[in-house]
Amino acid sequence: MQLTINGEVRTVAEVDTVAALLDHLGVTHQAVAVMVNGAVIPRERYASTFLADSDALEIVRFVGGG
Amino acid sequence: MAATADLDWPLADKERVRRLLALPGVRPHSLERLLAARVAVVGMGGLGCAAALYLAGQGVGHLTLIDPDRVAAHNLGRQVLYAPEDVGRLKVEAAGSALRRLRPELSLSLWPHALGPENADFLLAGHDLVLDGLDQGVPRDLLNRWAVAHGVPVVFAGAIGYEAQVLVVAGGQPCLFCLFGSVADAAQDCAVEGVLGPVVGMAGMVQAQEALKLLLGVGRPLIGRLWTWDAYAGRTRILAVPPRPDCPVCASGPVAVGQARMGGQHRG
Repeated sequence: MQLTINGEVRTVAEVDTVAALLDHLGVTHQAVAVMVNGAVIPRERYASTFLADSDALEIVRFVGGG
Repeated sequence: MAATADLDWPLADKERVRRLLALPGVRPHSLERLLAARVAVVGMGGLGCAAALYLAGQGVGHLTLIDPDRVAAHNLGRQVLYAPEDVGRLKVEAAGSALRRLRPELSLSLWPHALGPENADFLLAGHDLVLDGLDQGVPRDLLNRWAVAHGVPVVFAGAIGYEAQVLVVAGGQPCLFCLFGSVADAAQDCAVEGVLGPVVGMAGMVQAQEALKLLLGVGRPLIGRLWTWDAYAGRTRILAVPPRPDCPVCASGPVAVGQARMGGQHRG
C-alpha cells in the first residue's frame, strides 16, 4: 500500500489500520496526533480506522517540554 | 510617526512602541489596547523567559508570571532571564527583576504557585491572553479546559530535543484536545531527551509574536493551525487542525463563567 506520510510517499506492507501503521513506524500511541486525509483520528479509533491505498497522513508527536 | 504623541502614556512607552505604529494594520488604538493588556505566562522556563522578554519589551501593560520553581544552574543555558546569582531564587522573582530592569513601566504580578484546579480561576481570571510555558501535561490539559470554558485565548507551545511547536486556542474550537487528546500522560523530560536552547527560545518568541498579533488585532494568528519546527532536519510545517465534532472539551462551545469544567473529568 502506498501512503503519503508527512508529505513523503512511502510504501508500507502488511499494515491495515492506523494502530498497525504507528506500531510499524515505532511511534507511541500516547500524545500523538494522526490525521488521515485531513481529519484527526482520536486515539481510541486508531485500531478501528482502516487505511486505503493513496491515503495522506500527518503524524505529529506532541512536544511537551517548556 | 506623530500619532503616539496623543497617547497618555509614559514617554518611555511612547518611544518604545514607535516602530510598531509604522507596521501595516497597527493603529494608535491598537497600541492603547497593547498597553492596557493583561497577559499571564504560566511557567517561567525556556518558553516563558523568551516570551516574557519580548512581551515586556514591546509594551504589553501587565504581565502575571506563574511558576513554583527556583532557578537551577542547569536552567541557565536556555532560560535567558536568569543570571548565575539568581540560582536558588524563585523564578518569578528573578524574572520580575530582569523584566523591570528592561522596562521600569511594566506592571507585574508574581505568583510562585503551580497551576491547579483549585487556583486556576484566581490566577488566570482577568487576563486578555494566557501563554503556556508549562512542561507538564496535567496542567496543560487544565489550561486548555479553562481557556475554552472562559473564552480566553491561550498560546500553547512546547519544545524538546530539536523540536518545537505552537498552537493558538482562541476560546472555541479547535482546542488542544481536538488534536492530541489528553496530554496528561505525555511523559517527556528534557533531562532525558535534552533540549537545544534556541529551539525552546524560538518557540517562546513565536508565542510572543502570536500574542502581539492577537492583542494588536493584526495578521492571521495560528488559531487552529499547529506550527512545528524540527531544527535537526531544518524543517517547518504548519498543519491545519480541524475541530473534532465530538471533542469533549470544546464541541459544546464555551460555557458561562462559574460553570467552568474543572477537575479532570474530561481527561482520557
